[in-house]
Amino acid sequence: MEKIKISIRRDFSPTPGPRYIHEGKFSGEFFRQQVLYPSVSEAIEKNIPFEVDLDGTAGYGTSFLEESFGGLIRIHSLPYEKIMSLMSLISIEEDYLLDDVSEYLKDAYEESKK
Amino acid sequence: MKKLYTTRKYSIINLRHSKRSHRRQLAFKEYKRLKNKAEIGIIKQKRSYKKKFEEPFKNYIRIHAPENFSFIENSAGVIDFISKLKNHFDKKKKVFVVLKNVKTISYDAIVVLLSIMVRFKATKIDFNGDFPENEEARRILTESKFLQYLYQSFREEDRYQLGQNSSIVTHAWKDVDSELGYELIKNASKTIWGEERRCQGVQRTLIELMLNTNNHADDCKKGEKHWWLSVHHDKVNKKVSFAFIDFGVGVFTSLTNKRHGSKFFGIVDKLKERVKFGNNADLLRLIMDGTLHRTATGKPYHGKGLPGINKARERNQISNLNIITNDVHASLDNNSFQIISKSFSGTFVYWELNNENLNCYGEN
Repeated sequence: MEKIKISIRRDFSPTPGPRYIHEGKFSGEFFRQQVLYPSVSEAIEKNIPFEVDLDGTAGYGTSFLEESFGGLIRIHSLPYEKIMSLMSLISIEEDYLLDDVSEYLKDAYEESKK
Repeated sequence: MKKLYTTRKYSIINLRHSKRSHRRQLAFKEYKRLKNKAEIGIIKQKRSYKKKFEEPFKNYIRIHAPENFSFIENSAGVIDFISKLKNHFDKKKKVFVVLKNVKTISYDAIVVLLSIMVRFKATKIDFNGDFPENEEARRILTESKFLQYLYQSFREEDRYQLGQNSSIVTHAWKDVDSELGYELIKNASKTIWGEERRCQGVQRTLIELMLNTNNHADDCKKGEKHWWLSVHHDKVNKKVSFAFIDFGVGVFTSLTNKRHGSKFFGIVDKLKERVKFGNNADLLRLIMDGTLHRTATGKPYHGKGLPGINKARERNQISNLNIITNDVHASLDNNSFQIISKSFSGTFVYWELNNENLNCYGEN
C-alpha cells in the first residue's frame, strides 16, 4: 500500500529550531509550510497513510512540534480525525514525543471547536 | 642676537618664565615628598598594584566582586554585584571591577562577568578591572579569556562569540540558534564520551531558554534582549557545565506583566484561587511541575518552556539544574526553592552534562 514518508532529519533539518520563522532558523512554522502540510494534505486527499519519523535529530523544542502539528489544524484547518487515522509517528529515541504530538493535535482540535 | 637678550622686554619674560618654572619644580617636589611619605611602610607588591590599577583609574567607580564569586553558592552576593554594575551602566559611569580579593570563582560566574563587560564596552562606557590574587581564581579567569577581552573594544552587535579554542566558550545572540546547540553538544560529547553523541535533553533546554529570552525577556518588544551562554569543559571529571543568563525582567515580573489576550494573563491571581502558595519560591515550584500551565490552559501539561527543562532533568538527560530568577533560587536536584534577599532582574540557568546522562549514539 502506498505510504507517504516524512523524516524530519532527512526532509527538513537535523537541527529543528523555534516555533516561528522570525525567531530563528528551521522553525516549526517553516517545516509545516514547506514539508508537513503539503505531504499531509496530499495523504488526506488520496486517503493514504503517512508516517512522520522524529528520530535522528539533535532534539526538539516543544514549540517546534506544537507549531508543526497543532498548526495543521489551527492554521490549515485539516480534519483532526483524518490526521489521526492516517498518521503514524516514529520516535524510538524519544518515545515521550509520541504522546506530546498527539496531545498538541488534540489541543488544537479542541481549540478549533470553540 | 645679543642685543635681543639684553632688552628689557626679554629680561621680564625670562624672569617670569624662570619664576613659573621654579614654582612648578617646588610643587612637583612637594608632590613627590607627600607621595613617598604615603608609601612609607607599604610593601612593594601593594605599591606596584597602586601604580598599575589605582592611579590610572582614579576617576573610575570601584566595584568589589564578592569573595565567593559563584552565582549558585552566593546568589545574593553576586546579585548585589550585578545590580551595582547595572546602576552605573544605566548612568553611563565608568567602572573598575575589583577582583583582587576574590577567593573562589566558579564557572557559572564567568558568563555574568563576560556579559556585563561586553555590555559596558559595546556601549562605549569605560570598563576595567584587576585580577584575583588567588591563583585558582586567576586561572579560571584566564581560561575564560576575560583578561584578554578586558583590553579589547567591542561594538554593539547582535552576536558575540568569546573564548574560542579555550575550555570556556561564551556565545550571545538574540534569536534561537538550534545549530549552535548542536555544535556545543557535539563538542561536549567529545569531552565526556570521547566521541560525538546527541543529547536531546540539552538541545531542548537550550532551545526553550533561547526562546524564553526571545519572547519574554523584554515586556515591550520580542527579540530585544541578548541571551548569554558559557560552556565549560572539564576533561578530568568528564563533565560539561552550561551557564545561561539573560538580563530581562525575570520569570515572575514577566508573568505579572502579561497582557490581556495572553493565556497567562492574570495567571498568578487564578493560581492563588486554586492552589495555596506563599511566595515566589512556591510559585516557581508550581511552574516547574507544570501546575501553572495546567491552571492557565485547563489542560494536561505537555512539557513546554521551563517545566520542559525540568522534565529533561527528571528523564536524566541533564544534571544539577539550578535556576535563579528575580528573588528565587531553585536547585531542582535537591528539590530546594529558596527566597534570596536580593532580587535579580533576569534569568540565570545552570546545568551539567555528565557520562551518566542519557544520550544517543551517532552524529546527526
